[in-house]
Amino acid sequence: MTGALYSWGLLVVLGSAVIGFGALAVEKDDLHRLLLIDLVEIASIGIIALIGTDLAEALILPGLVVGIAELLALSQIYLMKEDLQDRPIRIPRIEVLQELPAPLILSMILIVYGIILSGFTGGAVAGLGAIFFIAARAHTENLHLLELASGFSWVLWIAAFFVFMFLPEYWYLALMGAAVGILIKVITKMSLMGVMWEARS
Amino acid sequence: MIGAGGSPFMYLEFGDIVIYFSPYTLSLFLLALVFTVLVIASRPERQLDIAFGADAYTTKEISLPEMRFRRFMAIACGLASMGAMVTGDVFDFCLFTSLVGICNVGIVAAVRSRHVQNAAYQYGLVALAGTVPLFGGAAIVAATTGTLSLIELSKTVLPAAPAVAKGFLVLGVMGEGMAPFYAAKAEMFRAPGAPYVIMCSLSSLLIFLRVIEVVLQM
Repeated sequence: MTGALYSWGLLVVLGSAVIGFGALAVEKDDLHRLLLIDLVEIASIGIIALIGTDLAEALILPGLVVGIAELLALSQIYLMKEDLQDRPIRIPRIEVLQELPAPLILSMILIVYGIILSGFTGGAVAGLGAIFFIAARAHTENLHLLELASGFSWVLWIAAFFVFMFLPEYWYLALMGAAVGILIKVITKMSLMGVMWEARS
Repeated sequence: MIGAGGSPFMYLEFGDIVIYFSPYTLSLFLLALVFTVLVIASRPERQLDIAFGADAYTTKEISLPEMRFRRFMAIACGLASMGAMVTGDVFDFCLFTSLVGICNVGIVAAVRSRHVQNAAYQYGLVALAGTVPLFGGAAIVAATTGTLSLIELSKTVLPAAPAVAKGFLVLGVMGEGMAPFYAAKAEMFRAPGAPYVIMCSLSSLLIFLRVIEVVLQM
């Protein structure tokens, strides 16, 4: 897809990659270099995106996944080599979090709005509501129920994909299954994050 | 089709993605397979440290979970290099290559020694930086020729991939395969556990050999 603007776009992206690599060469702190590497990684996504077809969209996802996997592995190594395993994390003292009815109302609004949105975005919004509610409560919750719900919703999501592939005439059922599955999955993941955050502090 | 590695005698088609076995790719695949089997079957060595100036040596004790993890990583690395040897898609080759990079970091990073982990971290930074030219090269190939399939690319109808894309691919493989970075490698190879560490070396050798065929075919 060599459009007229492709070469210019490529020049801009490669230029920014060169700037990123330059910063990487100058920087000496290990953590900062990790963050800069992440910045340089964006340039490779940019080169893929410049193809500008459906193929580009299909290629960005695996490229991004591999990049994130390497980044996660490296940050884990960084934690191990710097012995940063158990650093205490404090929840900020915000007035809204301390009063009881306020977080309940706010998180209810977020969860209802998230369910209306549905899908991945809805899950993120509803999950934020759940985090907000859990962060505002003093005592810890039972994590097993959340984990169970997360697992079942994942199974629902995968099952919906199998319906898409093998029983395409029931696509509407599969669509609803996948939407609900990913909604619950994201809600539980985000609230688990909130609970673990709470438990560690 | 007669590619750079001889004409393929077997195709496995998964929709767009075609895996092909030519004499070259098959022999590389078998090499990776044999070594993976060896890694599964072999018993890890114990490293001896000899004290200079005295008639003394010590054996390093390595815990079982650490060895298990490293063996798992070595097997994953073997599977990734097997995939990289036979795939007929440039982007898949890039994905498998970066998977080899991650597994190599994992094999070394499991060692509980600060020096080794430091070296693994630096190598990981190089591998992560290597993904930029790697995926960039594949994307430029797709943008200029309109396909990523090596079988299509080897036909002369399509415009040849630009030299910069080929250079990017080779540069990316150099970043992932860590072969030119012997300075970091020496520190990494002080890590105990013979058969697993060799997997790093072998997999980087294999992806180097394959990228030659890939680049010649474009």
